[in-house]
Amino acid sequence: MNTNSNLYTVIYTTVIVVVVAAVLAFVSQSLKGKQDANEKAETISQMLTAGGFGTKAEFQAMGNAKVLETYGNEIEEAFTVNAEGAKVADLDLAGKEVFSKGQLKAQNYKVKDGEGYAIPVFKFKNGITVVPVYGAGLWGPVWGYIAFEADGKTIHGAYFDHESETAGLGAKIKDDPEFQAEFVGEEAWFAQTPVFAIVKGGAPKEDGKSLVDNQIDGITGATMTSNGLNEAINKWLAAYAGYFGTAKAEEE
Amino acid sequence: MKLKETILDPIFKSNPITVLVLGICSSLAVTVTMKGALVMALSVMAVCGISSLILSTLRNTIPGRVRIIVQLVVVAMMVILVDQILKSFEATFPIDKQLSVYISLIITNCIVMGRIEAFALGNKPIPSLLDGLANGAGYGLVLLIVAFFRELLGSGTLFGLQVMPAGYVTNNLVILPPFALILLGCIVWVQRSIQKDLQEK
Repeated sequence: MNTNSNLYTVIYTTVIVVVVAAVLAFVSQSLKGKQDANEKAETISQMLTAGGFGTKAEFQAMGNAKVLETYGNEIEEAFTVNAEGAKVADLDLAGKEVFSKGQLKAQNYKVKDGEGYAIPVFKFKNGITVVPVYGAGLWGPVWGYIAFEADGKTIHGAYFDHESETAGLGAKIKDDPEFQAEFVGEEAWFAQTPVFAIVKGGAPKEDGKSLVDNQIDGITGATMTSNGLNEAINKWLAAYAGYFGTAKAEEE
Repeated sequence: MKLKETILDPIFKSNPITVLVLGICSSLAVTVTMKGALVMALSVMAVCGISSLILSTLRNTIPGRVRIIVQLVVVAMMVILVDQILKSFEATFPIDKQLSVYISLIITNCIVMGRIEAFALGNKPIPSLLDGLANGAGYGLVLLIVAFFRELLGSGTLFGLQVMPAGYVTNNLVILPPFALILLGCIVWVQRSIQKDLQEK
């Protein structure tokens, strides 16, 4: 048979591609459940890490089931809020419903527009509130969770993750505990713009006096990632201004 | 070529990293921990072996003009399968996250396409499978050697278990990619002093 004729080539490549696509679609469908469970446990462990319930490594060593159990024990309520800070809908606590990356991405478009969004708030029993942030880094999405104290402005902790930032530079937002520790004790100034900022030479903390403001130092050599994360944090925290504003008014 | 040589050559005598100098990029990136290196090594073995097997089986039917594209499609399929499988298990999920893009980048690993072009398209399926596996193993062996030193000196651990005494100060240089290149250089040096025929006059 002439394997170099045009017709043969076209048919051959078509068949190969269709077969490969079918195999991939089948495998993807059959493994989806397991992957989603892993993703969910990962998301929850990131929220718990931000909330200071343990370190990421500890949660990783625990295994999925224990992570979900810890979350179940600590969470008080979880719901989505809109621009005014009013509750839109409850998240299913028993089912440990969280926002997946895809859901965050979908909300991110609306957050950028500044209206029509319903973004999640996770309130834990010890008074800590965890909210997600999502945005674009240098090579791909960056996202993370920021935990607030009961006063609704002091940051209790933060955890960030990324899809494909440069290892050793932009990837530090996830891998460098010191970067994440910089957030602790800082404040988000919801009444102002920007709400929070990652800047160059931001927070002189070396002298032992920690300056409490709404700025932290960016990562050297990862300006684009720092800017992306800055944008993500700002846009999302500004979107939560309504919620944290209302939450405060209720207390007074 | 004998089967024994097909299996043993890529592991030492014509090792893909130290002799053919293929797959250097990923060997710098994924050798910070032994676990990562091991998972990467097994993934490359699987991708390389099975793609070689499939393409060797198909070799007489593949149209010459779209040869490379057909290879790419098959290799890409294998890489995606490996990635999906790693993501599905609780034990490998964090490692897959840690290796991030480097699993998907196996597709650009020159060893895979290089061996398919050079060996699988001209040989029977079983020797091709063995050649793919052996080249993956040769790659993995170097990876593990580099990772051994990097994890031991850089984090004081092996496979995540503490082995250095408590007072050990971890060496940050070892964690960074340049040190992997230095280590690779040392491995090439050792190999060339054992195997004299590799030395240039």
